[in-house]
Amino acid sequence: MRTFILQRLMQFIPVLILITMLVFSLLLAIPGDPVRALIGPGEALDASQIQVLRKEYHLDEPVLVQYGIWLANVVRGDLGRSNQTQRRVLAEVSFRALVTAQFGLVAWVLSVLIAVPAGILSAVYRGSRLDLLSTVISIGGVAIPGFWLGILLILLFGVRLGWLPTQGYVSLAESPVQWLRHMALPAFSLGVTGSALIMRQTRSALLEVLAQDYVRTARAKGLSGRAVVWVHALRNALLPVVTIMGLEIGRIFAGAVVIETLFSIPGMGRLMVESVFQRDFPVVQGCVLLMAVAVLFANFFTDIAYTLLDPRIKYD
Amino acid sequence: MSANGIRRTLSLAVTLAAGLVLSHGPAQAQEKPRTGGHLRVAWSQFPTSLDAVLGRAGGDAYYWRQIYDQLVDADESLQPAPSSSLAESWEVPNPKTLIFKLRKGVTFHDGTPFNAAAVKFNIERVLDPETKATPKAAFEVIESVTVVNEHTVRFNLKRPWGAALSMLADRGGAMNSPTAVKKGGKEYGFAPVGTGPFKVAEVVPGSHVRFVRYENYWRKDKQGTPLPYLDELTIKFIRDDTVLVSALRAGEIDLAYVPYNDAEAFQNDPKFNVRVFEGGGIAFLVTFNLAKPPMDNVNLRLAVSYAIDPEAINKAVDFNRAIVAKAGMWPVRSWVYDPSVPRPHYSLEKAHEYLKKGGKPDGFELDVVTWTNHQPAAEIVRAQLAKVGIKVNLHVFAVGPATEKFFGGREFPAFLTSWSRYPEPDWIGSLSYKSDGYYNAGKVPNAVMDKLLEDGASAYDIAKRKAIYRKVNEIVLGEAWYVPMLYGVSFAAAPKKVGGLETVFGWDAKMDLRLLWLRQ
Repeated sequence: MRTFILQRLMQFIPVLILITMLVFSLLLAIPGDPVRALIGPGEALDASQIQVLRKEYHLDEPVLVQYGIWLANVVRGDLGRSNQTQRRVLAEVSFRALVTAQFGLVAWVLSVLIAVPAGILSAVYRGSRLDLLSTVISIGGVAIPGFWLGILLILLFGVRLGWLPTQGYVSLAESPVQWLRHMALPAFSLGVTGSALIMRQTRSALLEVLAQDYVRTARAKGLSGRAVVWVHALRNALLPVVTIMGLEIGRIFAGAVVIETLFSIPGMGRLMVESVFQRDFPVVQGCVLLMAVAVLFANFFTDIAYTLLDPRIKYD
Repeated sequence: MSANGIRRTLSLAVTLAAGLVLSHGPAQAQEKPRTGGHLRVAWSQFPTSLDAVLGRAGGDAYYWRQIYDQLVDADESLQPAPSSSLAESWEVPNPKTLIFKLRKGVTFHDGTPFNAAAVKFNIERVLDPETKATPKAAFEVIESVTVVNEHTVRFNLKRPWGAALSMLADRGGAMNSPTAVKKGGKEYGFAPVGTGPFKVAEVVPGSHVRFVRYENYWRKDKQGTPLPYLDELTIKFIRDDTVLVSALRAGEIDLAYVPYNDAEAFQNDPKFNVRVFEGGGIAFLVTFNLAKPPMDNVNLRLAVSYAIDPEAINKAVDFNRAIVAKAGMWPVRSWVYDPSVPRPHYSLEKAHEYLKKGGKPDGFELDVVTWTNHQPAAEIVRAQLAKVGIKVNLHVFAVGPATEKFFGGREFPAFLTSWSRYPEPDWIGSLSYKSDGYYNAGKVPNAVMDKLLEDGASAYDIAKRKAIYRKVNEIVLGEAWYVPMLYGVSFAAAPKKVGGLETVFGWDAKMDLRLLWLRQ
């Protein structure tokens, strides 16, 4: 097991290098002069000023050299400074990542808390009105875009009722109550749409398990319904569900961009999109690196979770 | 009644009458601005820097304007405003020399005194290539700066600089504290120190910037109350228009520019005041590459310009809130605005006339480039040009690549785009009309234009400059180089409790929050 963990962690490094190299090349391949993109339309710089900027950001060097410079700095822990704002990338990205992580986590927890019980109930009371309701809601959830749901929630709870703030972010340290109030709508918009998938997966996995022989045996032995479901069926059903939950993390990162833009949350998703538009390479690379690390770890922990759930699964 | 009685009655009557008149007078005029309070403003861009000199995006001004004073401040029409400037007065003893007499008793937020040495430091900082200052190009005309005495500074110019006062009302004229710049190093950009009414209290990246009042601010209002009125000011970064409007309605923010489709609702809402700034930018224009066929033919360019109906575009795309452009690239509310210059307008008849003159009576094919925001308007233009037989091939890109393909790559004969408000004529002149300007796509040598621009840039007298730039527009509009179709309109909406709203627009149509106050 230990060798397995070590092997997996070692595999991170080539994967990270590959990902960052790919993103870097894509960024430079985007049509248009990066320096012009940095300056933005309207502000006028003369040719000599542009040359100075080009040299400073090594934009006149070949792609591999630029990447090499970046990598050499990263290894020393220096992610560089934003081309746009001159702020340190590490500080900027980690602050934003923390914000995204917070509301991503709340979204994810909400998602799971809604989906798994709903899925269990649907499976256990299959065919009932409860099942039908769950199905309708879950299909609706997959179809409804989080952005649209978010706007509706803002209009209802923010403008009409005035119960919750329509935008912004307050840190947990500053005020836990305000933090929760500001998190509520964005986390809900982001989490609900993903919960549908988890719910369907839970339902079908559990149904499959409940049809198994050993479940019938357990029932024949006289075990209560609840014991059957919780002790025997659920753990086995959870394997595919855990996979989906792990993938959710990736989806939440992706969906976070839109929700962050809508609710004006200073998160990493939005930072990344804006930096791509501005060709702010150091920031984009910093974000990509962090996200890649996060996703790699998420997958890794998912795999570990399997071993905890099912002792038959061993890695050697 | 006795004589005394009559006199007394009369004086009583007059007093009563006067009282009645006064009590029905406009309450606003007597209203005294209240000090204190925290104003929350929303804006759709986060600053690239809070330092006026280092920032690169137009939207930065919303933030840095509140913490700096300009060496020469300007009013809405870009006329100099000495009462809010750091220079009390100035003179031009000869065309290559400017002398500024500085205001006394002004200090930076960190206590450093503002004086001639500080001005010298700031200008030299802009000119220093190491700084990579955004306004450097415009300030190159300054040869050197001399400190005459503590409160008098002299600019020695390489050539006459008619645009001097306008440029000093912009980024390059914002005065930074020399002490703070030297101490701040690379981190200075987000912790700048100016002399302005507010100082930076907190920056949360991607979220907001919070300012607090600078207690030792030099300026007072007409009644002698020290400015600013507000204790605190927060500018929140809200990208999405729907959210911005919702936040305004929900009372989470107190001031924002609202989009066209929401403007009417706010104007009809008794809970809100709306101020309108016409000419907030050039909302839609067509420009041509004069060297690229078929747009190297002036008659065909005119044909295209006459075939476009801006009113239709205004109705379809801008909810009829923009205004049809009647002049050139210097929009309404600037001293250089001049609608008397003949220019293309919507006329199918004239379009056909110029098509014939251009040798293409049945029309021709035209490649047009535009960017994503303008795609709907561009499609309308395509339909309009089709009516006179001009077949448009539309190429749509993101704003950066589109701009660069047209001006840098010079790949297309025509560009449909928008432009920020630049009321200083030499700014657009030297970049867009001059033969070698970056924003002159064709770069066709034109000695007449270059001479006019040089004269305009060297003249100090506004009337003289206006006459020169009128001649410039005669060429630009008469030969269809840049033909604006619509001028943008900015709508600033705030709940009734926000006072001083009539001062909210700067000369660049961006927010000036320095004189605002809260009613409760």
